[in-house]
Amino acid sequence: MSSPTRLPVTFTVNGEQREAWVFPHDSLLDVLRDVLGHHEVRYGCGEGVCGTCTVLLDGEPVSACLLLAVQADGHSLLTVRGLSSGGELHPLQASFLRNGAAQCGFCTPGMLLTAWALLQRDPRPSRERIRRELVGNLCRCTGYTKILDAVEEHAAEGIGGHD
Amino acid sequence: MTDTEAPARQEAFRVVGQSPAHHDFVDKVAGSLLYAADWQLPGMLHGRVVRAEVASARIAAMDTSAARALPGVVAVLTAADVPWNQVVERATGGLGELAVAMPVLAADRVRYQGEPIALVAAVSPQVAAEAAELVDVEYEDLAGVFDAERALEPGAPLVHDEGNVLVSWTIARGEVEAALAAADLVVEGEYRTQRVEHAYLEPEAGVGWIDTSGVVTLRVATQVVEHAATIATILALPTSRVRVISTYMGGGFGGKEDMTVEPYLALLVWRTRRPVRMVWERQDSIMASTKRHPFVMRYRTGVRRDGTIVAQDVDIIGDAGAYPYLSPRVLFAACVTASGPYRVPNVRHHARAVFTNNAPTSAFRGFGAMQVTFGYEQQMDRVAARLGLSPQVVRERNFLAKGDTIPTGERLDTAVAAGECLRRALEALGEPARPSGPGRRVGRGFAVNMQPYGRTVWFRDRAACWISLEADGSLLLRSGVTDLGAGQAASLAQIASEVLGVPLWEVGVHIGDSQLTPPAGGTFATRQLYMSGNAVLAAARALRAGLLPVAAERLGADPGDLAFEDGVVRERGGDGGRSVRLAELAAACQRRGVPTEHLGTWHAETGTFDPASGQGASFPDYTFGAHAADVEVDMETGELRVLGYAAAHDVGRAINPLRVVGQIQGGAYQGLGYALGEEVVVEEGQTMSTLLASYLMPNSADLPDVKAIIIESGEGKGPFGARGIGEPTIGNPAATIANAVTAATGVRVTQLPITPERLLAAIDAGGGDAR
Amino acid sequence: MVAAPFGYECVSSFEEAAQALQRRGEDAKVIAGGQSLVPMLNLRLARPAWLVDINPVGAGPIEDHGGYLRLPALTRHRAIEESDVVRRRCPILAEAAARVGNVRTRTRGTIGGSLAHADPAAELPCVAVALGAEVTARGPDGARDVAAGDLLVSYLTTTLEPDEVVAEVRVPTLGPRSGWSFLEMSRRSSDWMVVGVAAVVELDDDGTVAAGSVAFGGVAERPWPVPAEVLADLLGAAPEEALLQRVAERAAAMLHPDDDVHASGQYRRRLAAVLGRRALAEAAARARGHGGSAP
Repeated sequence: MSSPTRLPVTFTVNGEQREAWVFPHDSLLDVLRDVLGHHEVRYGCGEGVCGTCTVLLDGEPVSACLLLAVQADGHSLLTVRGLSSGGELHPLQASFLRNGAAQCGFCTPGMLLTAWALLQRDPRPSRERIRRELVGNLCRCTGYTKILDAVEEHAAEGIGGHD
Repeated sequence: MTDTEAPARQEAFRVVGQSPAHHDFVDKVAGSLLYAADWQLPGMLHGRVVRAEVASARIAAMDTSAARALPGVVAVLTAADVPWNQVVERATGGLGELAVAMPVLAADRVRYQGEPIALVAAVSPQVAAEAAELVDVEYEDLAGVFDAERALEPGAPLVHDEGNVLVSWTIARGEVEAALAAADLVVEGEYRTQRVEHAYLEPEAGVGWIDTSGVVTLRVATQVVEHAATIATILALPTSRVRVISTYMGGGFGGKEDMTVEPYLALLVWRTRRPVRMVWERQDSIMASTKRHPFVMRYRTGVRRDGTIVAQDVDIIGDAGAYPYLSPRVLFAACVTASGPYRVPNVRHHARAVFTNNAPTSAFRGFGAMQVTFGYEQQMDRVAARLGLSPQVVRERNFLAKGDTIPTGERLDTAVAAGECLRRALEALGEPARPSGPGRRVGRGFAVNMQPYGRTVWFRDRAACWISLEADGSLLLRSGVTDLGAGQAASLAQIASEVLGVPLWEVGVHIGDSQLTPPAGGTFATRQLYMSGNAVLAAARALRAGLLPVAAERLGADPGDLAFEDGVVRERGGDGGRSVRLAELAAACQRRGVPTEHLGTWHAETGTFDPASGQGASFPDYTFGAHAADVEVDMETGELRVLGYAAAHDVGRAINPLRVVGQIQGGAYQGLGYALGEEVVVEEGQTMSTLLASYLMPNSADLPDVKAIIIESGEGKGPFGARGIGEPTIGNPAATIANAVTAATGVRVTQLPITPERLLAAIDAGGGDAR
Repeated sequence: MVAAPFGYECVSSFEEAAQALQRRGEDAKVIAGGQSLVPMLNLRLARPAWLVDINPVGAGPIEDHGGYLRLPALTRHRAIEESDVVRRRCPILAEAAARVGNVRTRTRGTIGGSLAHADPAAELPCVAVALGAEVTARGPDGARDVAAGDLLVSYLTTTLEPDEVVAEVRVPTLGPRSGWSFLEMSRRSSDWMVVGVAAVVELDDDGTVAAGSVAFGGVAERPWPVPAEVLADLLGAAPEEALLQRVAERAAAMLHPDDDVHASGQYRRRLAAVLGRRALAEAAARARGHGGSAP
């Protein structure tokens, strides 16, 4: 068996600096959940196809299950809890709630983060564009329509710009 | 208790019929909801199931010494360590099925790939995985059988010594052979459906611990907290020593209706005396968790020249996999509904559940009544094509109506809005599409279905709900209901809020605790709105009836003039006149000794079924619906694009319309996945790919939005006339697509899924089969 | 998902990477985007003793060198998809990159990694072979250039030595009279291709075919370039439907694809003929229209 030494990692999560000692083989997903308490980042497949482990790494969506925790060292992470501020839901979250875009809710954080990241690049995407961007976030409950409605409605509100 | 206090049908509802976003849904968008895997306790271990790698074998030897010796391993358990190594399926029994034992951990015989053979608890998931690999098993291959039809042949290998036919149901009325012989036309068809996976985004998971009173406590993603009794039996403990708490699930769809992690978690907790977490790997779930029954269905439909059905004979063979689970129930539901929403004066439905050495099949949204839609709706289109009639006319000529008798001999006692559903679905599609280019063909198809809601009535179903008015005027509900993510808990709050006028954010709901909440039965069979909805309605009405005289006295008013709204009781139509806050009313009740809490129990209608005659009571009621689709086929590649899709269901009354639309759209997509690509491919008992990447469930990009149409006949047996909507919507898509494909190409695909390759092969073979 | 333990080191140059690979031996693997490697680690299908992480090497800009584009190996798919210079000078590469997996795959996955991984059903290897791309492989003792067609030899197998790492990729740009087409049949959007085809067609002033290059993905153990003698029928001829069909069918008839859970080999061969014809037609139409790239 290879070296069992832990390595120190430091990164920010939702603006807050966090530190952990991790094995090289520890995934970012497991460290976020079991060491740092961020259960809103979820395990769904371990293959990078379901999207429930989506986090934003320096503003871009990545699969936390496919990143080693050590690879996040020095980077900045955003989870869905970082979207809301001061206990208030982000307008995109409010749009999801209004539109019934969450049923079981398991895919919801990944959907929110991916949609939010899209809106930073393209504040008024077409519905088709939103569909394609969310193709890697699987949902088994909603049939996607309400999720697309929620993102479109929020984009139309014009609040979706760089925030 | 009279019904005078209930909101009259003409009166506007306050919250019923609205779509407030509340309760668990706020936590879901905030990301703060804790699912089953999101629980940690000090000293928690990680549990793993060790699974058989082969499908049919004797276990000649198992050596766990290397696994036990691995540093960080705290326990390795095998069959010998299970106090009572048998899962007793409480949901079946007494209706002619084979009594076949299912072990918790396989002792000497393996019957499917992935069958649990040992358990590991270790200090980390990584050590547990390594230890699982170190369990050394010597298998002696036994001949296996992997196809249900083959399993019926004489001399086929036996999955269980008792025989390969788990159960055989027959429902019959009239003289089907004579009527077929006398029919103007008999259309025969054979249909095959595939093995599919629930694919909930949340894998099977839970955390167990022993609480301060020595009770084995499991916090798990489960649809049924009543499994606590089964777990207690396995541990040889009294039921009071096992407690199951259900979490808000990340999807269930029937896959969390049987026990998943529970018995293994309980054993590891009981042995180690430490908290244990178990989360199944997605790939293990795809390989070994319960699946939907593949069906082979043979239909003979006899009709008159004008399309009226005179006789229908259906034979269904369902692949039950290696153990019974809920197979008898699934095949019963298929047997009852095999002819669909049509009058069939002479009928015979025969359904068998057959063992094979494949992973066990059990509950999955639709539960047998789903697969048969693929059969009967294609038969109806075939009849129309052969007679030169419009498919819609053939349906309308045969639709059941209120008062008609169905194959079990029961009379339908609620409205059948199937015709309206069909008209509205077709209307919603608008003008037919045109092909987008050369070599493309377009076509429109539809399918109408009926899906039972509520459990089989001979089960004597009941549900209870506790309601209390708190000192501050808020409400507390306690119900054993479990929440799959479709608002099961939130709906109860909405109903209570309607009856008592308490704002939604002041209604607290506690659910799914086998020791702390009144039993509600599990969340399956689309029963919860019907059962728990009626139970909370009963409890809320009882509370209201108790409060009314106290309020009337306080206000010096007539009880009949009082309304409960906005947290007060006031005179109806009053413009800010006399009113009393519920908090004051609670205090007044306290002083007078009037109870402010009630337990409401709802008993479903009951009946009996006679397996010998195939006649008797089956389900309390049905939900009818119709889907329609426009498709385009690329005739050179077989690729299929769905251009438009509409789905209409009569839900009786939509308690929360937004959630009803969500069920329609979500169920339709799950059904479209079934139609177009989902399959867990198994060959000789080996799953060919366990990757989620290989499991072709719909994503956001390939299908159009489902236009959902809600029809409210008001005649459901649920609260306020509601019908169940959880399951019906998954049944229509496969036949809808198949019929649309035939309309587009002239060929008929009778095997699922309708893959491009399968469709291209059908196109090559020519259109002979369409008629 | 529980990867088996491994040793780990970061490097900040390809030279360091090669030295690390040499030092750690055959049981060491490079990790770049990780989108193909880490799933295998999670499923315990791959158990390297050491991972050499080359992400800190970083990637400079994509450079336009006239006849070719120079892409550092760590260029992410997303950067290729969105790059103005790639869209203008080699749009088929941008199109292929846009089809790789989902947005998360493209945020991390790299062109160097995709070529080193050598999945014959992947988009970038298919385009690399069709265009005649070249890579620079850096080893502990120096660098060498390898044509994509020579690099990708079999299923998940390249001619890279165990201590070599892909450092850069050079992709020919499309000329003003070239048209392109990248067509993929997959069971769902964002899935691996069942069959894919990359085609480039260059037309003469009289509208006849001056040159053509076609490669199929998903049909063999490596991206399969249509042999010159099959494409020869196109040269000097007008790219009419019937001719394109004949060429595509001739090419498809040479294939012996395997069966898998998503499609049979026979169906793949069928698809190759149809997609091949359509890709040639689309490439020719683009060549006739605005040409393959801006001057």
